Amino acid sequence: MSLRERFSSVRRRLVPALAAGDLVPDLVFEDDRGEVISLRGLAGRPFVVAVSSKWNAGSDAPVREGELRAELRGLGAALLVVSARGAWFLEADDPRRDLALCDADGGHDAVYHALGVLRDDDGEHPFMLFVVDARSTIRKVHVEPAGAREALAVLIALRAAMEALRARPAAQPILLNRRELVITTLVSAFALLALDGCSRSEPSPLPAPAAPAPASPTVEVKLHVNGSEHALALEPRVTLLDALREQLGLTGTKKGCDHGQCGACTVLVDGRRINACLTLAVMHQEAQITTIEGLARGGELHPMQAAFIERDAFQCGYCTPGQILSAVALVSEKRARDEAEIRELMSGNICRCGAYPNIVAAIQDVQRMG
Amino acid sequence: MRAFAYTRAEDEGAALRAAEHAEAAYLAGGTTLLDLMKLEVMAPGRLVDVNALPLNAVEVRADGVRIGALATNTDVAYHEVIRARYPVLSEALLAGASPQLRNMATVGGNLMQRTRCPYFRDPPAPCNKRAPGSGCSAVEGYSRAHAVLGGSGACVATHASDMCVALAALDAVVHTRGARGERSIPFTDFHLLPGDHPERETVLEHGELITAVTLPASPLAAHSRYLKVRDRASYAFALASVAAALDVQGGIIVAARVALGGVATKPWRAFDAEKALVGKAPGDVAFRAAAEIALRGAAPLRDNAFKVELAKRVIVRALASVGEAS
Repeated sequence: MSLRERFSSVRRRLVPALAAGDLVPDLVFEDDRGEVISLRGLAGRPFVVAVSSKWNAGSDAPVREGELRAELRGLGAALLVVSARGAWFLEADDPRRDLALCDADGGHDAVYHALGVLRDDDGEHPFMLFVVDARSTIRKVHVEPAGAREALAVLIALRAAMEALRARPAAQPILLNRRELVITTLVSAFALLALDGCSRSEPSPLPAPAAPAPASPTVEVKLHVNGSEHALALEPRVTLLDALREQLGLTGTKKGCDHGQCGACTVLVDGRRINACLTLAVMHQEAQITTIEGLARGGELHPMQAAFIERDAFQCGYCTPGQILSAVALVSEKRARDEAEIRELMSGNICRCGAYPNIVAAIQDVQRMG
Repeated sequence: MRAFAYTRAEDEGAALRAAEHAEAAYLAGGTTLLDLMKLEVMAPGRLVDVNALPLNAVEVRADGVRIGALATNTDVAYHEVIRARYPVLSEALLAGASPQLRNMATVGGNLMQRTRCPYFRDPPAPCNKRAPGSGCSAVEGYSRAHAVLGGSGACVATHASDMCVALAALDAVVHTRGARGERSIPFTDFHLLPGDHPERETVLEHGELITAVTLPASPLAAHSRYLKVRDRASYAFALASVAAALDVQGGIIVAARVALGGVATKPWRAFDAEKALVGKAPGDVAFRAAAEIALRGAAPLRDNAFKVELAKRVIVRALASVGEAS
């Protein structure tokens, strides 16, 4: 059985009864001083619940708890971790709390039971992640088969998970994409570290948290992207790039340097190529924006997309959406008459794999089509 | 990026009123401002978006050309009249940044472009320009990219703009509107030397809005070139650049313009070198003599002495290419 088949078959059996849009079940925990934390009682702010039976202590995840706390503070969020070894609750400014419900397997099973999940064939529970908004509504559910996960940069994970939570209106259906899968993996790595911390008898000294960047009120922003109109509520500081990726889920537009130096974020605004990272979404309300997702017509690739494939004009592919949009604009600008001019006028798009000769060839192919 | 209040100004009056706020900054193309806001080098509490103002025209007039402050670098660089009558400006714009950035960046914004000094862009590092009184990290630090002309003990950061070097050579005038009305500022007076206050970079008052740049009609300007030398062939800041123009009549230079970029703390007009060229026959002897004069006051640091000879050679080559054309 391939990994893919195994993954999907396990998922089929272990998907919880709960889904995005449902209210979170009102699980109740108690800390070692007898104070009660209930999931419904957390209403009023977002939180993440991460559940697994397989986590063990001893992780060496490079996570600084102070920075995590700063993230939680900036987002007004909390994190609850549940495993067979115990449960644990983290808020920005309070001491970490060990929770009592999970000191026995029965308690841990009770959590799975409340979430409607059964053990798999090996008697293992899956890893699950629930992102819950301030109205106790589940905004995202992610399930993975039980298994070892690598400890990665968890701070980034928490930030991304929480931002995803802030970003989407609750009514919108939420599908798990590859990016969010990475996020859930990272959050689980955070849990590894958290449990490791819980298992020590003495609390470790915490570094001073970094000051969070406070939010500002959102403004209504209308964006016309790939022929569709979108009404968004954004902070003014949200770049066009972040709005496309984080709000509209158009992750084809890449974030490379985020400072206008690499061209990975190139999009067309009223047909002109720009760096979406150095402009605010709120500045483009009357414009027609085209991203890589908007180039194909039905099932037919844009000629530049087809030429990039034909000429093998990429290797890792990360710069490719920006290269293609920049190349589309270059052809329509009609200023590049030879290879040297193509290279000069594509110099705003860096390719670290060095696919330049094939990129130039693809552009010349399209130029020859007239 | 720090949070800020955002205002979209529908006319100049509204823009000026909104910009009276002590923490306000104007937002045009955003290519410098948003970059530096992400780094928290700049943190204005209020942005006044001026992109809706009707200031993007390039108007050809009997006495020259008027370029609206919101005309993009692309619009100006490819404008037929600019290419024909002020080629140095078109070449300078096309030597800067990338097509994407040139589609965003505006002429007014380009006048306000900030230095690329790595210490200025790194908030933990001492920098008198970013944090007055904190010291200069470059004077004792890695100074390869820094200025050899116009520096002070407080700051040796180069001015980053290519366009401004061309405007310095073209005797441009900057037009503004502020609380005290309109004014016209000769280009070479617009930027300030760092002196003891490198945080002050232009003569603009708080809330003053750049509305246009005018270029006088000039027999010189049609015979002008921009030559830029950098670490890679495209999409890099200048190590040394030269805007040069010559008016040659009967085999004798009757007027000359030489401005330098990449080597000075402001767009650098080499007035003495220009004077030395007048009355001479165009050629290597005169050009080299002018180049020596232009760099006479150079004060290199530990890592940038190469810029002195480099700038001289770029001057000679730029003047030679103009001389051949005229």
